[in-house]
Amino acid sequence: VSRKIVVCRCEDVTEADVVHAIERGYGDLEEVKRYTGFGTGPCQGKECHALVASLIAERTDRAPAKVAPFTARPPLQPTSLALLAAADRDDEGAP
Amino acid sequence: VGERRRPSVERGAPVTISFDGRAVRGFAGEPAAVALLAAGRPLLGRSIKYHRPRGAFCFEGHCGACLVRVDGLPNQRACVEPCREGLALEGQNAFPSAELDALGAVDLAFPGGMDHHTLMTGSHILNAVTRKVVRRLSGLGRVPDRPAPPAAPGEDLAVDVAIVGGGPAGLAAAEACARARLATALFDDQPELGGSLLADLDGGPGRAAAAIAGARAAGAALHPGAVAIGAFADDGGVVAIATADRLVRVRARATIHATGGYPQNRRFADNDRPGVIAARAAARLLVRHGVVPGERVVVVGDQPDALRLAAALAAAGATVAGVDGVRERIVGVEGARAVAGAIVEDARGARRTIPCDAIAIDAPAAPASELWRQQGGAVELRPAAGGFAAVVDADGRGAGPGAWACGDVAGYVGPRAAAAAGARTGAAVARALGGA
Repeated sequence: VSRKIVVCRCEDVTEADVVHAIERGYGDLEEVKRYTGFGTGPCQGKECHALVASLIAERTDRAPAKVAPFTARPPLQPTSLALLAAADRDDEGAP
Repeated sequence: VGERRRPSVERGAPVTISFDGRAVRGFAGEPAAVALLAAGRPLLGRSIKYHRPRGAFCFEGHCGACLVRVDGLPNQRACVEPCREGLALEGQNAFPSAELDALGAVDLAFPGGMDHHTLMTGSHILNAVTRKVVRRLSGLGRVPDRPAPPAAPGEDLAVDVAIVGGGPAGLAAAEACARARLATALFDDQPELGGSLLADLDGGPGRAAAAIAGARAAGAALHPGAVAIGAFADDGGVVAIATADRLVRVRARATIHATGGYPQNRRFADNDRPGVIAARAAARLLVRHGVVPGERVVVVGDQPDALRLAAALAAAGATVAGVDGVRERIVGVEGARAVAGAIVEDARGARRTIPCDAIAIDAPAAPASELWRQQGGAVELRPAAGGFAAVVDADGRGAGPGAWACGDVAGYVGPRAAAAAGARTGAAVARALGGA
């Protein structure tokens, strides 16, 4: 095993990967997520979102309050497709 | 009962489970990851890309560190999978086994990390070959052995108050709302209600039982094992709840977000090694499961939670070393497949290794504010409060009319303050909805 600082365990994203993305000019959570894949695994950011946010604030010299979260999309936890398939369609809801 | 087990809790009947074909003793109902750790086996599988050894971290069904194959079903969390006789677990992403994974070499091939955007993109042919190889090597488990059992049709539920989260804040809010004769339903994603109280060293499990009894006696409907998988602001704020066998669409006049926080790791080399666990996980192992995470434990942190944990582990007979994380920081881990030592560095840069078989990391829990954000709630990144905290007033009122938040989701405060906040928010919601 090599020495790695892992910031997103689900997708094996390291601190070095995040720093590399920031150095390439990706400076917010949404961009860094898309570039590195952090936050897109089974936990959907529960372990890494805040950690990477702090790292971005630090590296881009921004006040934490200026760092926006990434969009949290459902499902927030791994969900069996069978549950979704068995639920009836809601035709009156938004498209 | 074993060298890492303490006689301090009531246990179910002894059972035998297996991991990668090897028998391990457990007790009926306790999580499989707990039984394995108590047996000195923190390694549960390999990681998705680099095949690094992995084991449970949060022990509360939130992080993605402990995914295993359970009775032929991939990607199940070993930390919430209850032990029963014959339960068969397999480590994932490993060949031939999690212990001896031949693909661990991938980790060495990419020592700094991997930029898949520029991976062998100099040559079309090389890039095509690389993509093919990488796809074979990486991934998350294998497909299930058999089709999923059919689920029941979806249901609709209308209540006055929906509460998401069954920890100290949620249970206190549920009691207050139900006392005001509001139709109150509480949903918690864990198999067992109590949330962070189940990891509170100060008599938490007893206080969890009292809070559950209080909410139930007041008339609240409490649903453990009910996972809020999304809130849909463009559909009147409906919350989708996934239970074991069906999807429930919950419409409520008010939604109280009492989702708490997620344990966080710190940034140091090999911070993902099996045996590195959250301090709250170590506390939960001790008070809820009567298990010490190791015989020699390093506790990292200088806050009261970390100091209390170190004292409790020492009282339970573990050899404990404290690393405050300020004057002395953890910078690395010894041990190839599981923790064998903590490498620490002082302010002058001098390093030493503390031999240990577990490392407990204390850091403020990150507010679980995703559902809140989906309902249109505002958050602010406050590192000292753990992450993106819900922005609310003293009563827990947010920007929108029907969404409230209380407890650690509004910034880490710990179980006692969370319970007080939940009671306050519950009372405010009752006033707002005109309860009795």
